[in-house]
Amino acid sequence: MTEPVAASGIASLAWLLLALPAFGAAVLLVGGKRTDKWGHLLGCATILGAFGYGLALFFSTLGLSPEERVQNVHLFNWIDVNALTVEFGLRIDPLSLTFVLLITGVGSLIHIYSIGYMAHEEGRRKFFAYLNLFVAAMLLLVLGNGFVTLYFGWEGVGLASYLLIGWYQYKPEAASAAKKAFLMNRVGDLGLAIAIFLMFNKLGTTQYTEVFSRVSEFSSAEVLAITLLLLLGACGKSGQFPLQAWLPDAMAGPTPVSALIHAATMVTAGVYLIARSNPLYNLSEDGRLVVMIIGGVTLLIGCIIGCAYDDFKKVLAYSTVSQIGYMILAVGLGPIGYALGIMHLLTHGFFKAGLFLGAGSVMHGMNDEGNIRRMGGLYKFLPITFVTWTLGYLALIGIPPFAGYFSKDAIIAAAFTGEGWRPWVFGGVALLGAALTAFYMTRLLILVFLGQPRWKDLKSEDGRDYHPHESPLSMTVPMIILAVGSVGGGWFLSSGGRLAGWLEPSLGELKEEHGVISHGMVGILTVVLAVVGAGLAFLLFGRGKQPVERPARVSFPVRAARADLYGNALNEALFARPGTWLTRALVFLDLKGVDGLVNGTAALLGGSSGRLRRLQTGFVRSYALSMLLGSIFVLGALLVVRFS
Amino acid sequence: MTPTYYLLLSALLFSIGAVGVLVRRNAIVVFMCVELMLNAVNLSLVTFARINGSLDGQVMAFFVMVVAAAEVVVGLAIIMSIFRTRRSASVDDSNLLKY
Amino acid sequence: MNLLVAQAQQIEAPQIDYGAIAPLLVVLGAACMSVLLEALLPKHQRWAVQLVLTLGTLVGATGALIFYATSERPAQGVATLAGAIAVDSPSLFLWATLLVLAFGSVLLIADRSVEPGGAFVAQAAIRPGTIQDRAQATKTGMQTEVFPLTLFALGGMMTFVASNDLLTMFVALEVLSLPLYLMCGLARRRRLLSQEAAVKYFLLGAFASAFFLYGVALLYGYAGSVKLSAIATAAAGTDRSDTLLFAGFGLLVVGLLFKAAVGPFHSWTPDVYQGAPTPVTAFMAACTKVAAFGGILRVLTVAFENTQWEWRGVLYGVAVVSMVIGAVLGLTQTDVKRMIAYSSVAHAGFLLIGSIALTPEGTAPGVSATLFYLLAYGFTTIAAFGIVSLVRNSDGEATHLSQWAGLAKRSPIVAGVFTFLLLALAGIPLTSGFIGKFVVFSAAIEAGLAPLVVIALVASAVAAFFYLRVIVLMYFSEPAPDGPTVTVPGAFTTIAITLGAVVTLVLGLWPTFVLDWAGTGTFLS
Repeated sequence: MTEPVAASGIASLAWLLLALPAFGAAVLLVGGKRTDKWGHLLGCATILGAFGYGLALFFSTLGLSPEERVQNVHLFNWIDVNALTVEFGLRIDPLSLTFVLLITGVGSLIHIYSIGYMAHEEGRRKFFAYLNLFVAAMLLLVLGNGFVTLYFGWEGVGLASYLLIGWYQYKPEAASAAKKAFLMNRVGDLGLAIAIFLMFNKLGTTQYTEVFSRVSEFSSAEVLAITLLLLLGACGKSGQFPLQAWLPDAMAGPTPVSALIHAATMVTAGVYLIARSNPLYNLSEDGRLVVMIIGGVTLLIGCIIGCAYDDFKKVLAYSTVSQIGYMILAVGLGPIGYALGIMHLLTHGFFKAGLFLGAGSVMHGMNDEGNIRRMGGLYKFLPITFVTWTLGYLALIGIPPFAGYFSKDAIIAAAFTGEGWRPWVFGGVALLGAALTAFYMTRLLILVFLGQPRWKDLKSEDGRDYHPHESPLSMTVPMIILAVGSVGGGWFLSSGGRLAGWLEPSLGELKEEHGVISHGMVGILTVVLAVVGAGLAFLLFGRGKQPVERPARVSFPVRAARADLYGNALNEALFARPGTWLTRALVFLDLKGVDGLVNGTAALLGGSSGRLRRLQTGFVRSYALSMLLGSIFVLGALLVVRFS
Repeated sequence: MTPTYYLLLSALLFSIGAVGVLVRRNAIVVFMCVELMLNAVNLSLVTFARINGSLDGQVMAFFVMVVAAAEVVVGLAIIMSIFRTRRSASVDDSNLLKY
Repeated sequence: MNLLVAQAQQIEAPQIDYGAIAPLLVVLGAACMSVLLEALLPKHQRWAVQLVLTLGTLVGATGALIFYATSERPAQGVATLAGAIAVDSPSLFLWATLLVLAFGSVLLIADRSVEPGGAFVAQAAIRPGTIQDRAQATKTGMQTEVFPLTLFALGGMMTFVASNDLLTMFVALEVLSLPLYLMCGLARRRRLLSQEAAVKYFLLGAFASAFFLYGVALLYGYAGSVKLSAIATAAAGTDRSDTLLFAGFGLLVVGLLFKAAVGPFHSWTPDVYQGAPTPVTAFMAACTKVAAFGGILRVLTVAFENTQWEWRGVLYGVAVVSMVIGAVLGLTQTDVKRMIAYSSVAHAGFLLIGSIALTPEGTAPGVSATLFYLLAYGFTTIAAFGIVSLVRNSDGEATHLSQWAGLAKRSPIVAGVFTFLLLALAGIPLTSGFIGKFVVFSAAIEAGLAPLVVIALVASAVAAFFYLRVIVLMYFSEPAPDGPTVTVPGAFTTIAITLGAVVTLVLGLWPTFVLDWAGTGTFLS
């Protein structure tokens, strides 16, 4: 860890990064209807301004020697009493700068895209105000120089995400998705809050510098507790098992929101949290193991469920869940993985944002239709979207030389290091995930862009015919820029250890270990498996006519015995059927288990509340009785404590 | 006679008052039961003054009486107003606010 | 005769530090004057004169307080009036809090723009439901006795938080309670509910003060004195009956917990908060809470600090019960005022955590945290009830939650401010509620109450749900066609709401100033 120095020069103005988007949000919220005409432009301008400043800051930091790259900007003492000082300041270091560039860069593109996407929406300026609010909170989250400041931003992005998921407030599913996101995030926040309290209790401070330089004062049990609680926080925010269910529902929000918040930035805050707390995780082998298990489980769950959904954005959402699983797995690997996790986060930020924007563009052209079974053959009608989307797709499934290959391959290779069962289990899971990813993404590609145009004879829900068309420039240009990032980003960041070297002052040196399988072998395996997964999808979905309705459940192999279906049936019996069962079981678990737990707790509380409130009978005498019983309890307890 | 008996009597009176508040319906009687509790306390205060050999307890008893008198003024006003409205002094009839 | 005079001269008159108790004297003196004015002035002049007098009194008392606080004074505080009143740093903080909160409440009480003539009945003697009653509902006058009653209640609260012996505390308790009982019954509309609230509050309050008084008597029997410091001394060197001590402590605390609306002694809270006129509810919710917890803090830290290991577990349990009751029962409430009442029960649990956060070394990290929390909570609550009073339909306030559906569409500013206040009550960062919870929980952890803090965090997560429910309702539901309208408030209510909301925001951003001030000194023992 590099000790921070006081910021000087351009870095001392770092508060501008927060102030610009916050100012935009304030003007748009306070200004009301008067800002309707130019509000969206102001929103874009503030984010672009922040991006420009971030770039300047980045290059000025690049000019410093690595020892000087961690800078502290003291703003003011937020709470300052005898026993308790909470400093409010910013930490400018390679890690936070990387995030600043990602957030403001992708944020700018998505702001611009939203001008076109939200053009027909009433209250577009409010949308930009919320987006600006989100960017400000997210920047606070990554720039803060202590856990309390982080918590501040953490709650802020939660609020902005809640507001934006519920944007289409007239849709009941949007409102309930917003509520669900808020509730599940509270569970995670609880973990984060308790972890912060534990640190404060032991050290009397929550500033990164102090906490990280004094980690040795924690006992190993305390470190384990803190790492697990931080992980709980990360799970809530990043949609990791067992708190993943809110993320797909959150797709009820507008697509730019899904791209920015629920793919590129906010949901990766959990990865940031763990990477930022690396001195703590370095101390706890067990804590890291739990992180890896969560990451591994999530990445598989995300892939498998991704195969089952027919909703364009939900498939992408589960894909996000599973890709974040990779990142969590990577940071769980410790010093050999922190930088890899961040690298995958960056490349994923590019290609997943691009994929979402592509999805938005398709839905924009298809009367907001999200069901992929009602699409098909769209490549003719949305050529730019098709090309950019396919580039993002290639990046995601990890075909060289696209971005995802470099970042995911590195994680898989790193997962194969270690001793005993671990490399085989985690490496195997990561490889299997790569194959599944290729499978469901190819299915998506075929059903949406290739194959027959199944929408020709259909009407959308509001009774209109489909007239797919390409989107305006303000939407396609951001997609093109993101596609460029998905093509070249991985090579650029990984060649010569560029990113790892840059992040060294924040994350420590990227250690390299030799795995149980050589790196080159892993690279070949990944690509082969991806191709196999994609090929399988072509076999299953690429031929023949796909039904518009979801196939009713085929019950007995009797029908499969019909000779001309023999091949399909074999396919189905060997691959599809077990897959379907597994998928269904997981969807079931997801709906009944996790949702059930959340809903069950709510129902339990609501039910007991409904019953308990009957005790408030309205009769004075029963109130007096409850007071008397309370008094007897207090007296009895006091005397028992004293005389026992 | 040891002073302890006075304390026991006081505790007994206090309990009778407390039970009375729970079982009686008429607001005036409920209120009188509260007064009984206050006066049971007065007995305790005076007894303790005797045990401790200081006059403080007796002075306090006077304070309590004055406060109790003020409470009667306020209490009767409130009970009167609700009686005039409902033509009933039963505390169980005041049952609109609940759950 | 000469003998009597000679004896009288032997009695030493107590020293009185008039400077220290000036705020108290100003408030109580003005209360007496206000009663006289009520008797002497013609009806149509009373409202204006009483209002000027009351606000002037509050400003004057605050001025006297500032003058005393900034002048040369003993750092540990002074005990004056023969040791009955202790004016120390927490007293001054609580006095200032009470005066400013009372200022906000008086503005709400005096407002005549939201409801023509004000929220109070024109003549309390008129029977509800009669022709005269319907006539009074539209008349513009109001029972101006509320002003002297408010001043007396405030005087009682200020005495209560500064009283250094239990007898003064008892008298102050009654002085603060009796006017409140009356004020609860003075609503202009829904008078049956209002009167019922008054009866319930009165009977239960009298019941609770009997417990308090019995506790005082037993402690007097134990220590031979009702001075807080004497009880502490007696409990330190002990050859007396511990039964008296703990029975006395238990009964005393029950009386205090009742006033503070801590579960399971909270049963009056929802009914009274709902039935009382909203400005009075605001006054009760903010000021009574401050006074009651001021008293609890003083009693626990001064008189019972060295027996904390015996009672801490019990109050621990009470705090848990209170938080659970408040959080769980709040979930299914359908009336806004009742919901805030249950929220106040949950908050009372949080405050109790701060109050019992004492360390074995004899320091009380919870005191300054609780003082801050009280201040923050008071302002948020006053503003919240101010908003509640604005949402109305043809028969008065529309407090049923279903009537609040889609409020954001009709009145975005009101809905926005209310959302902010609810978030403050839920303890979301950027609001004073977050800082308050943060400092209280930090203090509790310092005092070794970590499990309790975990329970409190869970409870506040549950409670956040019912605040959220209101927000969802206001923003994501369609407004009912015959729904309530939002009255445009006059200057008084606007000032009160703005004051509350601004303080809530400012304390969320720059709490240092107030935290410093709350932490300047400890209770005089």
